[in-house]
Amino acid sequence: MTEEPARQSEPHVLDQPWRIWASVTVISILAAGVLLGVIIIPVVQGSGAGLDAYTAICRALGILPGSPARRQSPDRAPSAPVSQVVWTSDVLQILANAKPERGRAKVLEVCAACHGEQGISAAPEFPHLAGQSGAAIYKQLHDYRTGSRTNELMTAVAKALDEAAVADVAAYYAAQAKRNPNPPTLATSPDPIVRLVELGDPNRNIPPCAACHRPGSGGPVETPILSEQGDNYLALQLKNYAAGERRNDVYGRMRSIASKLTEAEIKGLASYYRAGFQ
Amino acid sequence: MRNADRLCLAHSWVAFAAFLAAAVLGTWQMWVRSPLGAHVGTPGQYFMSVTAHGVAMAYVLTTFFIMGFGYFVAVTALNRPLPGLLWAWSAFWMAIVGVLMVLLPIAMGQATVLFTFYPPLTASPWFYIGLVLIVVASWVWCGLMIVAMWEWKRENPGKPVPLAMFGTVSNAVMWLWTTVGVAVELIFQVIPAAIGYVQTVDVGLARTLFSWTLHAIVYFWLIPAYIAFYTIVPRAAGGRLYSDTMGRVTFILFLVYSLPVGMHHLMMDPEHGNGTKFIQVLLTAFVSVPTLLTIFTITASLEIAGRLRGGRGLFGWIAALPWDRPTVLATGLAFVMLGFGGFGGLINMGYGMNAMIHNTSWVTAHFHLIFGGSVVIMYFAIAYEMWPRLTGREHPSRGLLRLQLWLWFIGMMVMTLPWHWLGLQGQWRRVANFNYADPITAGWGPLVILSFGGGLVLLLSALLFTRNLFVLHRGTIVVIARPLYALAVHPPQRVPAALNGFGLWNVLVLVLMLFAYGYPIAQFIITPSPSAIVHRMSAQ
Repeated sequence: MTEEPARQSEPHVLDQPWRIWASVTVISILAAGVLLGVIIIPVVQGSGAGLDAYTAICRALGILPGSPARRQSPDRAPSAPVSQVVWTSDVLQILANAKPERGRAKVLEVCAACHGEQGISAAPEFPHLAGQSGAAIYKQLHDYRTGSRTNELMTAVAKALDEAAVADVAAYYAAQAKRNPNPPTLATSPDPIVRLVELGDPNRNIPPCAACHRPGSGGPVETPILSEQGDNYLALQLKNYAAGERRNDVYGRMRSIASKLTEAEIKGLASYYRAGFQ
Repeated sequence: MRNADRLCLAHSWVAFAAFLAAAVLGTWQMWVRSPLGAHVGTPGQYFMSVTAHGVAMAYVLTTFFIMGFGYFVAVTALNRPLPGLLWAWSAFWMAIVGVLMVLLPIAMGQATVLFTFYPPLTASPWFYIGLVLIVVASWVWCGLMIVAMWEWKRENPGKPVPLAMFGTVSNAVMWLWTTVGVAVELIFQVIPAAIGYVQTVDVGLARTLFSWTLHAIVYFWLIPAYIAFYTIVPRAAGGRLYSDTMGRVTFILFLVYSLPVGMHHLMMDPEHGNGTKFIQVLLTAFVSVPTLLTIFTITASLEIAGRLRGGRGLFGWIAALPWDRPTVLATGLAFVMLGFGGFGGLINMGYGMNAMIHNTSWVTAHFHLIFGGSVVIMYFAIAYEMWPRLTGREHPSRGLLRLQLWLWFIGMMVMTLPWHWLGLQGQWRRVANFNYADPITAGWGPLVILSFGGGLVLLLSALLFTRNLFVLHRGTIVVIARPLYALAVHPPQRVPAALNGFGLWNVLVLVLMLFAYGYPIAQFIITPSPSAIVHRMSAQ
């Protein structure tokens, strides 16, 4: 380079072609991409599929919905008869803004007699609610109100509450002492039951209980936390699901799982999660 | 030891400490997924381990190593003191705080979200805020690299910036572009969701913003290896760099083409039109150009070295190369892994083939081979060149350095090749365990065990690497007179402004990004799509 004529090393002589040719190259590649991907391929393939050129181009750009998937509104799917609860951002915001203090008054008035002031139940047939997820309590109360789930006591109680009260009650119980994610019975449970909880049984298409029913796990928002619950109550719910008597589980998830469990497994799982009434 | 040397060592040691811990976790994961360790641990523990492994390898190892290496290059290639040492140390401590904020929630089970940012699953806010601190620290590093180059250019008007520094600054500039996507995603979507400020999140937008970062980040990790190929390897082999211009063009092409291509990670996503995907896939194809340029240039440079050492004939120069030198050996091994990994990458790039392998182990195997293999083995080589110059001590046994590199290569090949094959057979990724009682899955067992064997060899290599670095802190201090950086066959006296700075290229990146991501992002604001319910790991 040192032997080149002086003119060659003047800045504009050396710099300008680079600027121009680099820009031309990059823009040409981009233009080729647009021409092929947005015009030629969609128009040619679209004509085979009976699409006019304009629609094909709009689809390629993503302006019009179309291949590979059409946009779908989530609340168009019919939710009856399983559950009327739809987790819209409005409902979730109501739950997030619910006031435990307001809920407390309602709890003392309506719920505490059976479920306890702190959510520790008075008798084995009533579930503990302390530290239960707010969304889970909300969903069950809502299901009682709409008839998706029935119970001779709860149906009447839930129908007497309005939407805001349901959210406040849920928030109150959710704010009580947290549940232990590893129940104290873990050490004493037989291995097959612990395996069912932690790993499920892939041979029978049974997912692990812990995949959904543990705090922070990946289940749907309405999944209840199971630890420290009465074993009679749990066993009864599993049997009701298995028999199809309880039907407010979305997509029939729990009916499908419970129907594959043996009597002994139901008993073992219920005692794995139990607390209180032994 | 000078302050700047301590800075490089501090960064690199944090990087390799994270690497060693992550290597242990990775081996454990291979074990519990194999028939040998089936029923060990819970899925929760497995995914917690995967999260820690991914974060440590992909964010801590890389970011700290790249920052440390960048400071080293700025001092040694420019031959002037590092500007803003106080800034650099502040950034280091900020990043350390960030790492602790990230690791604690993971250990507490509040951040089992893997190392990707795909809502609606969200971790504890501390996890994300810690990551933001690491990124902000890396931005300080970018600023210091740019300032160092700028000051050097002011002191040396008209002279070409040394290639090692040019490559480092190209990486810094690219990183500033790269992090915009994930920063916007974290600040406007993920952190508000994690805190509980919003209850739903637009996952399409989040995936699009993450794809902005997702591919370029891999080149951020890769470029130090390329800097070593161009500037360290030819000298280590006893030759010269075949073409300085080719190096500059390579680094520029990485800057230009690694950014507007992230949507090839979203080929199966419904929220974008096929036309925009096509444009980004076409641009993705051009990312292979700098790699092909590099393979050509570095092979030519090595051929020069081989022939200078008396190699004759078509392939005789290969045998004549000094393979006993760790840097040369690492380069050869890295090229083999780059070859396998690169061809695998071309398959990922094809729309139809991607559909077949996308959710299988093929992808996991691919990025382990490319990043864990080719790139990390060059990190080792760089460390073996950098340490003696920082501590003033030579390693007493080159044989142990070579053994470590060979173990890494063998371990990585034995681990990833069966893993690729399992992917082709449909073994899915992102699962905690396999049901080996199932007849189809049972057939995978032997290959999974073989793959785990590769993992054990990798762990051995990681331990030996750490030992080798410790040895480089002991022993008598000697003067290292060996120059580090290679001269080009025709050392440049004057290069066009376009090959000596990044102004023009930033404009072109902006144009490409506007085309590639303009409407795909704007559409989420023009017609908001249904959002998903935020799922917080830290809930309850």
